[in-house]
Amino acid sequence: MSRLFTTLFLLLAAGAAQAQFRLPNLDVNRLVDSVKNVGKATKDIGQDEEIVIGRDLAATLLGAAPLVNDARLQQYVNNVGRWIASQSERADLPWQFGVLDAPQLNAFAVPGGTIFITRGLLERMKSEAELAGVLGHEIVHVVKKHHLKAIQKGAATALAGDALSMAVKNKNAGANEKLVSFGKEMYSRGLDKGDEFEADRLGVVLAARAGYDAYGLPSVLQTLQAMNAQDSGVALMFKTHPAPGDRLDQLGEKMQPTLDAYAGQPQLAERFRSESKVSK
Amino acid sequence: MRFLLLLPLTLLLFPVPASAEPAVVVRATELKNAPAADAPTVAQLAENAAVDALERKGGWTRVKSASGEGWVRMLALRFGGPGEAKKGDSGVSQIFNVARTGSSGTQVTTGVRGLDPEMLAKAQPNPAELAKMEQFVTTQDAAAGFAAKGKLQARQVEEVK
Repeated sequence: MSRLFTTLFLLLAAGAAQAQFRLPNLDVNRLVDSVKNVGKATKDIGQDEEIVIGRDLAATLLGAAPLVNDARLQQYVNNVGRWIASQSERADLPWQFGVLDAPQLNAFAVPGGTIFITRGLLERMKSEAELAGVLGHEIVHVVKKHHLKAIQKGAATALAGDALSMAVKNKNAGANEKLVSFGKEMYSRGLDKGDEFEADRLGVVLAARAGYDAYGLPSVLQTLQAMNAQDSGVALMFKTHPAPGDRLDQLGEKMQPTLDAYAGQPQLAERFRSESKVSK
Repeated sequence: MRFLLLLPLTLLLFPVPASAEPAVVVRATELKNAPAADAPTVAQLAENAAVDALERKGGWTRVKSASGEGWVRMLALRFGGPGEAKKGDSGVSQIFNVARTGSSGTQVTTGVRGLDPEMLAKAQPNPAELAKMEQFVTTQDAAAGFAAKGKLQARQVEEVK
């Protein structure tokens, strides 16, 4: 046991040294594997670490689909998103929003405050209130640290907890690669259903707090529900989320009073139409 | 004969709303004559009753049903869901495959992009694009100004567990 701790100590010392002096040829991965049972996987990930992890995952999603090349559209979505995020209990995160140039319908939340929505989903929306509902849902994933918790949970088995902290502290290519591959898997497997339902409920709350018609998210879910699950445009979305009909049932069960209390707030359909047009 | 020639014109005078979409009510629902819970009830719609959805106003959707026209709770409506009504593809995959394969029918490496599980698995980090994203970031104050322009007002709304 004491040998393990000695190894860990040396590892951490080496890690710190590497960070400062870039010691060559240190095989962090192999060393990490040798101490993966030390039990550090459960330690809390701080906000700075969360942001670093998020950057790697965001860069990977951008590797799958780049940003739509339209500054006005990107700024519009940032304005809507930043305003909604400001109504959350993590208003001070470095929030950033991006429209991905992909025809599929989806949206992604990345730890640390990065949110993506696809061009395909944006094109199916009818108002800013609908956009607000979807961004609200994604913002909740970050605020409640749903992905971060999934990473930690996965880290206990798939990744050594230390690979995670090494990746953060050293930017070691090997450890980073592990983290990113785990992230890719997470985004194609999806979160727990309970996390998705929570994001729906609180997403509605955030959109209402931001002053929008609270029915924006249910309205998007109804659009999705009308689509065929076999449609390649929604394949990944349907695989990673509960069925839209079930999500509507849940919202009806728990959110009817909130939804109705804020149903009369602006939808801003006109502003959405003029600002969200993708210039070709 | 003249009557038949005029028929198409007559139809133009009573256009079917472009957005009419077939749906069913998932539970027995009251058909109201206005979009409000306290509005008079036009008819009772049975579970699975077929309707045509016309427009949404807040939490209410205007529908046409066999028992007349009126408003039902939007959350009570379901459109042709997974495995039902709408067969086929919206065309997204076809467009996508063209982009992916090019005219030669082989994969063009620069075109291998997208958000299918398979594509996601192949994705390599793109730090340049991430850096580009930063130029569109806005501040809390600027976003508040943008919200004010849209007459959006912040409210206190409690979380629901």
